[in-house]
Amino acid sequence: MTDLALRRAPADRERMLGLLQDYGVYAGVTVLILANIAFTPHFVSAENFRTQAVQVAPVLIVALGMALAIGSEGVDLSVGSVMALATSLVSLYLGYGPWIALIVAMLGGAAVGLASGSLIAHIGVQPIVATLALMVAVRGIALVMLPQLKDVRDPGMATLGSGDLLGIPYLVLIAAALALLVGFTVRRTTFGRQLLAIGDSRPAAQLAGLPVRRVLILVYICSGVLAAIAGVLATARLQASDPTSLGNLMELSAITAVVVGGTPLSGGRIRVGGTVAGAVLIQLLTATLIKHDLPPSWTQIAQAVVIVLAVYAARERGKR
Amino acid sequence: MSALRPGAAPRWGNAMTSSAVRRTATRTLLATTLVASIALTGCAKSEDDGANDKNTGSTGDSGQVVATPAAGNAETCTVEKFGGKKLDLKSATVGFSQSEKEANPFRIAETASIKAEAGNRGVKLLTANAQSQFSKQISDVQDLIAKGADLLVIAPLNSDGWGPVLRGAAAKHIPIVTIDRKINATACKDYVSFIGSDFVEQGKRAADQMIEATGGKGKVAILLGAAGNNVTTERTKGFKDQIKAKAPGLQVVFEQTGEFAREKGQQVTEQLIQSNPGITGIYAENDEMGLGAVNALKGAGKKAGDVKIVTIDGTRNAVQGIVDGWIDGVIESNPRFGPLAFQTLDTFTKGEKVSQNIVIQDSAYTGKNAKSGLGKAY
Repeated sequence: MTDLALRRAPADRERMLGLLQDYGVYAGVTVLILANIAFTPHFVSAENFRTQAVQVAPVLIVALGMALAIGSEGVDLSVGSVMALATSLVSLYLGYGPWIALIVAMLGGAAVGLASGSLIAHIGVQPIVATLALMVAVRGIALVMLPQLKDVRDPGMATLGSGDLLGIPYLVLIAAALALLVGFTVRRTTFGRQLLAIGDSRPAAQLAGLPVRRVLILVYICSGVLAAIAGVLATARLQASDPTSLGNLMELSAITAVVVGGTPLSGGRIRVGGTVAGAVLIQLLTATLIKHDLPPSWTQIAQAVVIVLAVYAARERGKR
Repeated sequence: MSALRPGAAPRWGNAMTSSAVRRTATRTLLATTLVASIALTGCAKSEDDGANDKNTGSTGDSGQVVATPAAGNAETCTVEKFGGKKLDLKSATVGFSQSEKEANPFRIAETASIKAEAGNRGVKLLTANAQSQFSKQISDVQDLIAKGADLLVIAPLNSDGWGPVLRGAAAKHIPIVTIDRKINATACKDYVSFIGSDFVEQGKRAADQMIEATGGKGKVAILLGAAGNNVTTERTKGFKDQIKAKAPGLQVVFEQTGEFAREKGQQVTEQLIQSNPGITGIYAENDEMGLGAVNALKGAGKKAGDVKIVTIDGTRNAVQGIVDGWIDGVIESNPRFGPLAFQTLDTFTKGEKVSQNIVIQDSAYTGKNAKSGLGKAY
């Protein structure tokens, strides 16, 4: 009997950690919401939910692209700089109207993705190194284009940043639509399956004859375009282009959202729903600490604890 | 993790295609660069091309005024005391080391003012920018000395860590004037004098404006600057001390960092107005965060004047905010160091005495003078 108990214990622990990795983030969000309802004055209000949703939208969109990169056993550190590039491009091309500016910004993001994807897929540079190089270079390019903060006065951009449809802000609608799109892509398209196969084992994918390079480049283009969209939305919300500070440390927030959401860093698996919940979790954590006027350093410590928990669950589970 | 090295696999398998692969890769990179450069150089058209009317610090009437002058009571410095020799500023080379990228209005105006004054006086000026990296600033200063600077004007990034540079400069008897931030060293030995604002005083004056705007009653929030920065701590201290002393009816209920950035100021204010709907006033430790707060208030459907806002810096956007009714007061932090810095160097090199600590008089903008002062804002 003792023998049986001993043998069963690791399996139970394993299952627990698996559950923590898969659903811990939803539990975390639920706990935070309940705690806020109980302890935070004025938390339950339409305006408050609107604020949290609007603030999380750009982070979430960047995290979706990051999830694709991490699912392919890579990472994209250039996302914050791409946001800055997008905001500079928007400012430079807004004279043609917001749509053209948006398209130019997305092309800029795609170009950065193409560059990092090519370095990774063709030349064999490690993703972390390739995107680190672009992170530095692209921030520089963004600042050459627009050396300082500039106000945005376009009415179309103002509507995008603060308008809504049936009470739901455009930013939130766009983020939700993109989350659905990425979810669909990962689960239902050939590209999605190929991407996961490559993330699982690149040599095996190669042997199976998958178009590894093309898929990898496309992954980073997607990430670049999503980051550019996030940059445009952030610009619309701020009503200003600020390439000096927009997107600073965004790569860390995005990676945190993805990892906390249960996507393993070892690739081969992407949890889109978890990524959404991961982004919401970090947003709620930050909001809770701000609303209770706790020192900002606490937010960082709390985030670190969440990350360590998430990575611990993933690591212990993968040990088998 | 897989033991095989991904990426290397195909090339073992097929040596023939490897050069073709490299060619494609090169082509892709070239194409990318091309696209990027088209975007860079191409047919950009921004919203208000041609309406770029920012005057950056060269206008005569906007230079600094000294608050604590060189007169008898303050500690002074002379060439004899410092060691070194007199020289004619006109024939000297001045090195200027800027700490941060000229990406915000303050730094832009500061550098422009130094350059303009050097131009006015016909002094040869060497400049360097440390891009917010302290190690680069140290080597910048050493380069300036090596390039033959006789005098130095430094806008320091940090207060500490200047030992090696100062020893090098002192060995050559190169007079140094630091502007906007002080360095932890001995005046008139390691450097000649410091010219800058009194940040505690700025905080106090912001508090005075807040008291006036709110009538001395209500709840105030503070948008702090970046953590671990002496500007943040001093502007906070001055504000809180003054509130405590002058208006016990005003209560500071919220202090969160907006990191001196507009976006962060907006996000924090959005949280603030939901958790503290009855907030009376917001004190932003720089203009950018204050403008972010205005964004947040507009987004929440508040009207101009519902929440009193006081900020520090005196940028044009913030002064315009007063004209529009959203901001109640702006304390200026004057970045136009050019005239005073060169005047100090001139006086010093002639052999006359200069003050070791030159505190400048910052002006302030309120509803009364905002419109007329708009041209003076940077």
